[in-house]
Amino acid sequence: MLKSFKWFGLVLLVTGVVLLTLNAASLVAQQRPTIRIIAFAQGFAWPELFGTTGTERTELLKQLEDREGVNIEIEWGDEWAVRQKVLTDLIAHTGRYDIVLVGSDGGVQTYGAGGFLEPLDSYLEEHPSEYFDPNDVYPKFLDANRMPPGGPLYALPYYSFGAGIIYRKDIFDRYGLTPPKTTDELLKVLEKLKQGFERDGITDIYPITMRGAPGEEPTLDLAGFVYAYAGYPAWFEGGAITAEEIKKNKAKPIFTSEDFKKGFKAFVDILRKYGPPGASTHTWVDMMNIYAAGKAAILMPSAINGYAALGITENPDVKNNTRFAKIPVGPGGKQIQSFWTFSLGINKDSKHKLKAWRVLTYLVGKDSMQAFAERTQWPNVTMKSVLYSDVLLSKYGEEEIRLNEESILEADPYYFPYIPELTEFMDKIGTAASRAIAGEDVDTVLNELQTWALERMYKAGYYD
Amino acid sequence: MREQYKFLLPSLIVALVVVAFPTVFLFYISFHRWIIFIQGIEFTGFGNFYSMITSREFIKSLQVTLIFVVTSGLLTFVLGLALALILSERLRGQGIIRTIITLPVIVPPVVAGFTWKFLLNREVGVIGGYLLPALGFQKSLLGDPHLALGSVILADVWSRTPLMFLILLAGLQAIPTEIYEAARIDGASYWQSFRKITFPLLKSAIIIALILRFIDAFNLFDTIFVMTTGGPGIATQTLPLLGWKTGFLYYNLGEAAALAVIMLFITMIVSLLLVRRIRQ
Amino acid sequence: MRFVNRGCLVRGALYALLTLYLIFVLFPIVWLVLSSFKTHYQTLILPPKLIFKPTLQAYEKLLTGGMIKAFKNSLIIVGIDIVLALVFSIPAAYSLARFKTKLGENIGFWFLSIRMAPAFGVIVPLYIVIRNFRLLDTIFAVNISHLLLNLPFAIWLLKGYFEEMPIELEESALIDGATRFQALLRIVLPISLPMVVAVSILTFIFSWNEFLFAFVLTSSSGVTVPVLVASLAGTMRFDWPLMCAVSVGAMIPAFVFVFFVQRYIVRGLTLGALR
Repeated sequence: MLKSFKWFGLVLLVTGVVLLTLNAASLVAQQRPTIRIIAFAQGFAWPELFGTTGTERTELLKQLEDREGVNIEIEWGDEWAVRQKVLTDLIAHTGRYDIVLVGSDGGVQTYGAGGFLEPLDSYLEEHPSEYFDPNDVYPKFLDANRMPPGGPLYALPYYSFGAGIIYRKDIFDRYGLTPPKTTDELLKVLEKLKQGFERDGITDIYPITMRGAPGEEPTLDLAGFVYAYAGYPAWFEGGAITAEEIKKNKAKPIFTSEDFKKGFKAFVDILRKYGPPGASTHTWVDMMNIYAAGKAAILMPSAINGYAALGITENPDVKNNTRFAKIPVGPGGKQIQSFWTFSLGINKDSKHKLKAWRVLTYLVGKDSMQAFAERTQWPNVTMKSVLYSDVLLSKYGEEEIRLNEESILEADPYYFPYIPELTEFMDKIGTAASRAIAGEDVDTVLNELQTWALERMYKAGYYD
Repeated sequence: MREQYKFLLPSLIVALVVVAFPTVFLFYISFHRWIIFIQGIEFTGFGNFYSMITSREFIKSLQVTLIFVVTSGLLTFVLGLALALILSERLRGQGIIRTIITLPVIVPPVVAGFTWKFLLNREVGVIGGYLLPALGFQKSLLGDPHLALGSVILADVWSRTPLMFLILLAGLQAIPTEIYEAARIDGASYWQSFRKITFPLLKSAIIIALILRFIDAFNLFDTIFVMTTGGPGIATQTLPLLGWKTGFLYYNLGEAAALAVIMLFITMIVSLLLVRRIRQ
Repeated sequence: MRFVNRGCLVRGALYALLTLYLIFVLFPIVWLVLSSFKTHYQTLILPPKLIFKPTLQAYEKLLTGGMIKAFKNSLIIVGIDIVLALVFSIPAAYSLARFKTKLGENIGFWFLSIRMAPAFGVIVPLYIVIRNFRLLDTIFAVNISHLLLNLPFAIWLLKGYFEEMPIELEESALIDGATRFQALLRIVLPISLPMVVAVSILTFIFSWNEFLFAFVLTSSSGVTVPVLVASLAGTMRFDWPLMCAVSVGAMIPAFVFVFFVQRYIVRGLTLGALR
C-alpha cells in the first residue's frame, strides 16, 4: 500500500516535471516584442479579438499582431482582482503590463496623479493612428480621462456610459405615467407606481432598482444625485474639484451641508421607500438581474445596466417594453449624472510604449467600437459614427439614439472631484449610503463621514 | 540529536528563504507612510498602527470579526465533531456519504460566496426570494445589517465544516478499538467513554483543527467579499476586508501593513494559547 | 464508540440529523449543477423550475473556450503540491514529534506562524521575491507559495498523529538495526496512513481552491480554475451558468480523488501493527 502510494507520487512528480519543461520551452523568447494587456470583463471586451472566452487567438488578432509587429497577450481577472495585480506591478515597477485597464472613477485619478501612466496627448499629436480618430469621440469621454480636469490625458475610453432612465413602458402605460423630466416628477411617478402595485396586489415588482452596495460602486450614481440636487459637485466648499483648488481655497469637505445632504437623502429615501428590500447590498449585477427578471419598473441612472439586462432577459414583457428616457433634472438645475468610461492607459514602465500605443488605439478605435455595438447592441459607445451606425439605429430608432447622444453631450464628467484620494472618498460615501439605506439615521451617518473626511484631508496636507 | 535536524532541514530551508523577505518587508512597510500616489516613503514609527487602531472602522471590524470567528468556529467544530463521530463507524454507504460531506469545501470559496449570495437574495433567490417568503419571512437576509452577518456565517459553516470533519475523522482513527471494548466491559456508557477516552486522545487533533479554523475564519476574504462586500454598510466588514480596502482601494500600503502585523500578532497569541493546551 | 450499546431511538435520531445535514450540504450543490444547464435568465425566475428545458450552452463555452487549460494547470499544480507537501512535511513532523527539544518546539511554532499572516499583507512582498528569483509566470512559483501555505498544517497534523503513536514499534526496529529513516518509512508511515491521507486531501482541497497566489504570480498561461472562476465575474457581464459549469467541472476531479482516497481513513492500523 505504501509502495503504491510512493509510486503514485513518483508518477505525479515525473508528469509534473515533464509538463513544466514543456511549458518552459514555450517561454522561449520570440523575435517580436510582446505587448501585455491586463483587463477585466473577459469574453465581454474585444471578443472579436480574443474570443468569447478571452483566451482564443483569432485571425483578427493575428492580423493585428502582424501589422504592428508585436505579440499580444492579454490577462483577465475580476475587477477587484485585476486591481491587485495592477497595483503590485506598478509598485514593484516591474513593467509587466504595457496596457492597463483604468476606470474613470478612481483609476485615472490615482494612477495619473501617482505618475504611473504615460500621458497620451503627445502621442495623439505626434503619432496619430488610423485606428482612432479623436474627433469622432465625444469629447466628454476623453475629458473624463484627464487628471486633473482639463489636464493631461491618461487613458482612452472603450465602452462608456452616461446617465439615463430605463423603464417599462407597459407598466407606465398601465398606470398612466410618462417618463419624469424632473426629480419631483420622478418622486411622483414612484409613488404612483407603489400605490398602483399595492392596489393590484403586486408584491414582486418594485418601482425602482438602484445600487446601494457599500463601497465605491454606488457612489457613481449617488454623486450624480448630489450634483443634480445641489447644482454642483457639493463635496468641498465652493464646489472645488481639483486638488489645487482645494489647497488654494482651503476648501473643507461639506458632507453635512444642506447641499450635499439634499442629494444624498434623496437617493437614500428613494431606495428606502421604493427600492427592493435588499437594495443596501445591490451592485450592478443585482440591478441587471432584477430588471431582467421583470421585477423593476425603473432602472437608473446607469442605464447601461438596463441594456445589459435587456441582453439576457427572456421575459417578453421586459424585452418588448423597455425604453430609454433622459435622466431627470434635479432642483439644482442639473441632470442626475452617472458617467464612467472603461479606459485603457499605458504603463509608464512599459518597455514598448510606441507599440503599446498602436495596439491601444486599435483596442479603443473605430473597428473595436463598431464590433462592440454590433455584438452587444448597447448604445454605450464612444464615437458618434458608431452610435449612429445602422445596427444601433435599427434597433432603437433615431429618437432613442438621439436621446442617448443628448445625455452624453449634456453630461458633466467632473461631477465629482478629481483628486488622487478619490477611490477612498467614493468608498466611504458609498458605504455611508449603504448604511443609511439599511436603516441608519442619515444625519448620524453624514456626521461620521464628515469627521472622517476632515481628518483625511488634514492628514493629506491640504490645509497646511 | 543531529538526526533531528537532518529531517527538519529541507522544510526549514525552503521556509526560511521564501518567508524571510516578505516578513521583513511587511514589518518594514508597517513603520512607513507609503501611499502610492504620494511621492516618497517616510518613516513614521507607530503612526500607522495608531491611525489604524483609533479608526472607528477598525473597532467595528474587530467586533464583526470576533462574532464571525467565534460563531462560525464553534458551529463548524460541533458539526465537524459530530459528523466525524458518526462516520467513523462502519455505516452503510460510508464512502459516498463521507465524500458528499466533503463537497462544500471542494467548491471554490468565491463560488460558495456567489452561490449563497444568489440563493439568499431577496429578489431573485430560491431561498431568500421564494422559500422564506412562502413561510412568511419577508426580510432581506443580505440587506439587513443583523441578518447579513448570520448569512455570511451560514455560508462559511457550509463551506468549512468538511475541513473540521476530515481532521477529526483522521484523528479518531488513531484510537484503538480495544480501549472502547475494555471500557464497555467495565460498564461505561457512551458519554463516559467519550469524555474519558475519545476527547483526551483526540486532543491534539482538536487543537490543530481549532487553530486551523481560527486562522481560516480570521483571514477569510473571498467568500464574504463576494457575498456582501462588507455590507450593508460595514455590518459584515471583517478585518481582512478592511485590510484589503486599505491597501488596494485606499492605496495606503503602510496602514494595510500595520493591520496585517496586528492581525498576525492576534493570531499568534491565540495559537500560542491553544498550543499550550496540547502540552498539558 | 459503539452503536451497539445505544438504542434504536438514538440511532434513528442520528440518522435523521445526518440526513438533515446532507440536505444542507447538497441543496446548494444541486442548485449549482442545475443552474449549469440553464441560461442566466432561467436562473432568475421564481418559483424555480425543477423541470425545465436544459441547455448545454455553458458547457459548450467551457469546452470550446480553452478553459480546459485551467483544469490542466490546476491538476498539475495540485499534484506537485501534494507530493511536495508530503515529502517535506513527513520528515519534519517526525523530527518534531520524536525529538523533543526546546529549539524544536520553537521551530515547530515558527512553522505554524507562517500560515498566520493575512494574505493581503504578504502578496506584494512575495511577488517581489518570486520576481527576483525569475520565477514569475511559472507553475513552480505557485508550487513554492502553496508549499509554504500547506507545510504548517501538514507538519502539525502529522506531528500530532505521530506523537500519539506508541514508540515501541520503532524502538524494536531500531534495536534490530534499522536507521531512523527506515523506521519512519517502514513502520511509522503505514500506520499513520489515515492522517497522511487526510493531509493529502486537505492539501488537494486547499491547492485546488487557492486563488490569490495563483492569480498574482502567474499570467494567462498559468491560469488555474479558481482564477478562471473569478475572472468570469466580470463587469457588465455575469454568466452564472458558466460559472456553475466551471464549478461542476472543478468538483469532479476533487470528488473522484476524495472518494477513492477516503477509504484509507480507517482505524485499526495500530492494532494490526501491535500484533
